[in-house]
Amino acid sequence: MSSKRMTTIGVIFGGRSVEHDVSIVTGQQIMRALDPERYEIVPIYIDRDGKWFSGAPLLDIKSFESDVRVREGVEEIILSPNTNHHGIIINPLASGLFAKSRIKRLDVVFPALHGTHGEDGTLQGLLELADIPYVGCGVLASALANDKEMAKVLLRQHGIPVLDAVSFTRAEWTQSTTKVIEHITAVLKYPVFVKPATLGSSIGITRVQDADSLRLAIDIAANFDRRILVEQALTDCIEINCALMGNAQDITASVLEQPISWEQFLSFEEKYLRGSDGMKSAERLIPAPLPPQVTAQIQEIAIRAFQAVDGRGTARIDFLVKGDEIYLNEINTLPGSLAFYLWQEMGMPAREVVQKLVALAQDAHAEKRRSSYNYKTSLVALTAQRGLKGTKGKSRQGGD
Amino acid sequence: MIDLFLLIIALIWWAGACLRIYRQARFYQIEEYMSLRYLRWITSRRERWVPGRPLIAFLISAGITLLLTEASDGIFPFIVGAIGAISAVYPPNEGEIKKQFRPTARARRLLTTTFIVVTLLTLAAGFLVGSIEVGGFIELPFILMALLGLLIFIASPLLLTLGNLLMVPVEGALRARFVARARRVLQEVNPVVIGITGSYGKTSTKSYLAHILNGRYKAYPTPKSYNTMMGVCIAINNDLVNDYSVDYFVCEMGAYIPGEIQAICDLTHPTISIVVEVGPQHLERFGTLENIAIAKYEIIKALPPDGVGIFNWDNPYVREMVERGYPATRIAVSRQLDPQDLPPNPPRFIASEIDEQLDGLRFTVHDIELGQAARFETPLLGLHNVTNILLATAIGVHEGIPLNDIARRVRTLQPAESRLARTTDARGVTILNDAYSANPVGIVHALRVLSMHPAKRRLLITPGMVELGPLEAQENRKLGEIAAQHATNVILVGAAKTAPILEGLRSASFPAEKIQVVETVREGMDWYQRNLEPGDVVLFLNDLPDTYSS
Repeated sequence: MSSKRMTTIGVIFGGRSVEHDVSIVTGQQIMRALDPERYEIVPIYIDRDGKWFSGAPLLDIKSFESDVRVREGVEEIILSPNTNHHGIIINPLASGLFAKSRIKRLDVVFPALHGTHGEDGTLQGLLELADIPYVGCGVLASALANDKEMAKVLLRQHGIPVLDAVSFTRAEWTQSTTKVIEHITAVLKYPVFVKPATLGSSIGITRVQDADSLRLAIDIAANFDRRILVEQALTDCIEINCALMGNAQDITASVLEQPISWEQFLSFEEKYLRGSDGMKSAERLIPAPLPPQVTAQIQEIAIRAFQAVDGRGTARIDFLVKGDEIYLNEINTLPGSLAFYLWQEMGMPAREVVQKLVALAQDAHAEKRRSSYNYKTSLVALTAQRGLKGTKGKSRQGGD
Repeated sequence: MIDLFLLIIALIWWAGACLRIYRQARFYQIEEYMSLRYLRWITSRRERWVPGRPLIAFLISAGITLLLTEASDGIFPFIVGAIGAISAVYPPNEGEIKKQFRPTARARRLLTTTFIVVTLLTLAAGFLVGSIEVGGFIELPFILMALLGLLIFIASPLLLTLGNLLMVPVEGALRARFVARARRVLQEVNPVVIGITGSYGKTSTKSYLAHILNGRYKAYPTPKSYNTMMGVCIAINNDLVNDYSVDYFVCEMGAYIPGEIQAICDLTHPTISIVVEVGPQHLERFGTLENIAIAKYEIIKALPPDGVGIFNWDNPYVREMVERGYPATRIAVSRQLDPQDLPPNPPRFIASEIDEQLDGLRFTVHDIELGQAARFETPLLGLHNVTNILLATAIGVHEGIPLNDIARRVRTLQPAESRLARTTDARGVTILNDAYSANPVGIVHALRVLSMHPAKRRLLITPGMVELGPLEAQENRKLGEIAAQHATNVILVGAAKTAPILEGLRSASFPAEKIQVVETVREGMDWYQRNLEPGDVVLFLNDLPDTYSS
């Protein structure tokens, strides 16, 4: 919009997720990358309990050294689902003489939440209701990518290679443990991975070599999710990641990276906290040392998978590669640090990445505007005239 | 006893006056509470302000009272006086009402004030009559009461004006508060404001622009034809308040007096302004077309230096505005130029290869600056809509919507309410409704669309054009001449007003037996109900407010 006021961007971070802290780091990185000449930044912090806050101190990561929620200038907010508000209500329960709630319009929302209640389609659903453009994948893609079991079903349908797995619910596990184990051993060969179906990070994931440790691993996973996945482990493979950016048919794949600490599966601390600045400094090889045709093949599969889940904006897709075998491991719709380091390698600094992502969000929203959600019918008027079916007939019979 | 009789007669006159005032309030509303306009209307015909019946009723009852009263108990003069008063004030048939009275807060305030004035006057009259020394002449107070009652009754339109004048300071204060609130709401919500003015085409352009912008952003256009200061404030205070989702506020601005657009701009601060047309609409209020152009230019003058002006290059008065050089960004559109053969400093958007069919318009839009072109298709009828769409397109492109996206959006445009909308009634008669504020430009297009129908009968129903000042007779005569080429039958509503049209029809040797002159729109409708057959087509041009008929 050329005759527009400065674009206001709400960056949401924190969240009710085990990746709460990582999300704060990603949120800070995004806010630092956004061009202050072009955007007005509204920081939005969700605490571990799910309370929402906004205010200038949240712009500075140092504020998080102590309890940021009680700092001067930090106010409680809600994101209104009312399309008219198109943003947040600051101090929504204001009462008293000088307290006043007020609305802050957000032109675009930039979610920086990882894992549950943020990367899984729930926040996206709220933003759809509010009709506010937002960066990244929509409800369906977020929910699918976040669910390892459903993602496998869908990707297999699209001819994208994934590893075999067995999935079951916590209830099935507790009620018929032996049957579940029999089934797993019939379908898969050790070693296997035990994973909670919908958790974003590596929490609750165990690599299992034999039947003895399987039981314990499933018990652990069952602490984190209602559904559990046991997946064939691939030995002597490397992990390869590929970031994507774009909407619909126009999607760009990044260079590939190879995280090199793969030898043993990463513990949570290793994956996120090595080094001082989150994932950015974790050791990795960019570009990954692969033959060009394998690189091209991975990039092509990544794009197809992204389109299969109806992805948009951005994602990082993780693969397991062993020789010429390629398996898609997982889709991260809101990867840590937004994979800035991969785009940087392609000559695209973080500032440009976020700018491009905001533009993609606006485009996606405009595309949505093309669909009509209003179709006037006389149904209600007619029903009002005739009375509701069932209730009316009964009351008549009773009344007469 | 006599006092009671007099009181009853006074009450009858009082009730009659109140009822008359209540009915008159409707016309005050139509004249937008402007006392002068109302007085001009009511005094333009004697029966409007001094109806014959009350006068006659008074004279007869007074005569009978004088001549025949002998008894002294007052019963006979009371009966005569009461019958006289009732037959004087008994409300006449109102005839056809096209625009109902709306009991708005303002109308209620006006009526209450006026009722109080009437009540006070009636009380004063009662005291006056009661204080007279009757002596033996018992008829005198009855006749005097009737005379005073009659005077109050006759003067009731004036009392309404008095009530209106009394309310001026109150209305002024309420108005100022309302405007201040609108200003606050706009500051809060802070949308980009797009102003639209023009003698005609405003409402259509506004709705097309909103439709195009809504393909990507969210636009809120002022509803219907709200285009006065108060109308704009109502739109802001009712609909824009707390609506932070709006990117663009598309504000139609009408000019009824010089300075009005300036005032609306002072409130809304548009950063983009469109001038659609300068034409003789409301000429009687402005005197000359130049004055109208000056009033319309206020919307451009009000732009900030980095604002954007959008102009219809095909109108010479609007073209002159482009040449004045303010603001720096001026975008003009034309549907008359040949994109292969452009003058120096050509308009940026040009429509060519315009194809007008019954199912809509097709034309190619060229963006001269970007060297792009796109074929537009729309179900809308009327060539003037090409201009309206071009103006809306210019803003769409300026606001970052690709020309092809606009072309796609234009396919789903709908005509604004009563602006050359085409429907088919239950019997299969096609109805072209251009009932809203016909103007010399729109009427030609509407008639062209009428003649495009391969129908046996092509009926035009019209009361003619109004508010064209000195040009009114001339333009209506022209309407008659053009109608003669396009219609097979014509129904003229209102003999007096449509005389120039009749003249025009005759001069074009339109067959006299194909012309009907009726007094109300209802009669015209009846004729069409009885005589038209499936496949026929009827065009309604300009449905006038009630102040123009009866």
